[in-house]
Amino acid sequence: MTYTIRTQMLSKSYRSADVVSNVGMTVKRGEIYGFLGPNGAGKSTVMKMLLGLVQPTGGEIELFGEKLVPGHNEHLKRIGHLIETPAFYDRMTARENLELHAEYMGYHGKGAIDEALRMVQLIGTDRKPVKQFSLGMKQRLAIARAISTRPELLLLDEPINGLDPEGIQLMRGLFRRLRDEWGISILISSHLLSEIEQIADTIGVINDGRLLREVSLDSVRESTTAFVEISTPNVALAAYVLTEKLGLDQFKQIDDHTLRVYDNQVSQETLSKTLILNDVSIESINRRHHSLEEYFFDMIKGGDEHAASRQAGA
Amino acid sequence: MLHLVKLELKKGGLRGYILGALIAYAAIAGLLMLMYFVKEEPTGSTFKNQADMLSAVNTLVGATFIVYSSALLSKLVISEFKDRTMTLLFAYPVSRKQLIFAKLSIVFVWCFVAIVLGNVLLDALMLTVNHFVGDLASVLGTTDLLHQFGQVILQAIGAAGMSLLPLVIGLPRRSVAATIISSIFIVSIVSSNNAGFALSSIIAIPLSLAAIGIIGAYLSFRNIDRADVA
Repeated sequence: MTYTIRTQMLSKSYRSADVVSNVGMTVKRGEIYGFLGPNGAGKSTVMKMLLGLVQPTGGEIELFGEKLVPGHNEHLKRIGHLIETPAFYDRMTARENLELHAEYMGYHGKGAIDEALRMVQLIGTDRKPVKQFSLGMKQRLAIARAISTRPELLLLDEPINGLDPEGIQLMRGLFRRLRDEWGISILISSHLLSEIEQIADTIGVINDGRLLREVSLDSVRESTTAFVEISTPNVALAAYVLTEKLGLDQFKQIDDHTLRVYDNQVSQETLSKTLILNDVSIESINRRHHSLEEYFFDMIKGGDEHAASRQAGA
Repeated sequence: MLHLVKLELKKGGLRGYILGALIAYAAIAGLLMLMYFVKEEPTGSTFKNQADMLSAVNTLVGATFIVYSSALLSKLVISEFKDRTMTLLFAYPVSRKQLIFAKLSIVFVWCFVAIVLGNVLLDALMLTVNHFVGDLASVLGTTDLLHQFGQVILQAIGAAGMSLLPLVIGLPRRSVAATIISSIFIVSIVSSNNAGFALSSIIAIPLSLAAIGIIGAYLSFRNIDRADVA
């Protein structure tokens, strides 16, 4: 297995505040890695450290199998990035900005700029100065710039921000294509799981500067449990019926109207029949999957509690 | 290195600076004409003699282009930090020191060339005018002209170095206004003329300020390769 990014005990602290602590992440070659965490969790800082824009205060970074040494910058030729708000030379046209970028990157591939512009569907507007662009267009142009030098690694910090639904669709398709056709590894951060769950192969959850878990989405999908959710005005009675009449104990009261039954042996039909026969009115009953959103939310909350208890113990 | 300079020039907007320089020359020429032709009767001409006239040209041109260069400095350095394009530049496979050095050398060379060229053009203009009008009688010999040229070169080096000094004030604040105002402040101290005497006429003063400007710029960027770029 080859890794594009590998960090060990990567940390950054400003004076007393730890922004990133002991992050050990691995991004495999050719995968889309979703970097998930609330705002201020340290996602951008990790990305900036990968780009050398921020110097780590501890730990080490390995990119393309080589340890990062301060002052060494050859690896930057192989990285495309979009960090925070897209910055351009506003008076120059979109195309001129990309040409300048290619010059600085030392990349001279013919037709790469056209291809990149076509991929983000900006081909008709590339002769306009960037200052006339909307935020969404700038965002797309920034992605075009990032891919115009055919990088092996793309670092995208909240790339979906400012895009309309159509643009989001376009980007998702584009990222998949870049992975599948060019074999690019993509590290893409977001504070919303829904933005990345459709495209990411692996998700790393970061909160308060700590990487809580790194999981492949496939394995999460398998492990997320199925359950039957019952909505009823009388939860207490329903719970009584489930225990007494059906002998179930694997259920959980979610709120005043909702119960979840985790026992897969009992069918939905039996459940509804038994409940109704025992005078429990049912508003709805569905078989559902524990959503990924909840899975990760629990993880972040659990991480907090874990950290809190650790601090309390210290 | 030259490649980096070229790329800076490619970013454009510098043609406007050349046009601006020509306008500044014209404005200085106009001012000199006023000083030459408008006389307060009892004291006579503003200029005592031709050498005095040429040193006035030198002072005016120097003062103008120190301030003008601070605008260029703002565009090339301060604005790039402010607009976050510097973050982009610092993530390129290019040495940050060289990147900054390219920018600062553009400012330095620009200021130097603009001052020398301005002096040559305006000196020629004023000497020609005087040749035909003949208000100032004293004759300038070749040695005088060579001496004047040496002065111009030294002053231009001094001014080019001083033009980097506003960076020390403007950079930590990421402020274009602070950069330009500090250049005006520098000029108002160094080039202000009190009864025919300006600090800049003691050549050691502009040259040591220039040294401070260059050292200050160096210190500002000494650790840039390892600095965090927000």
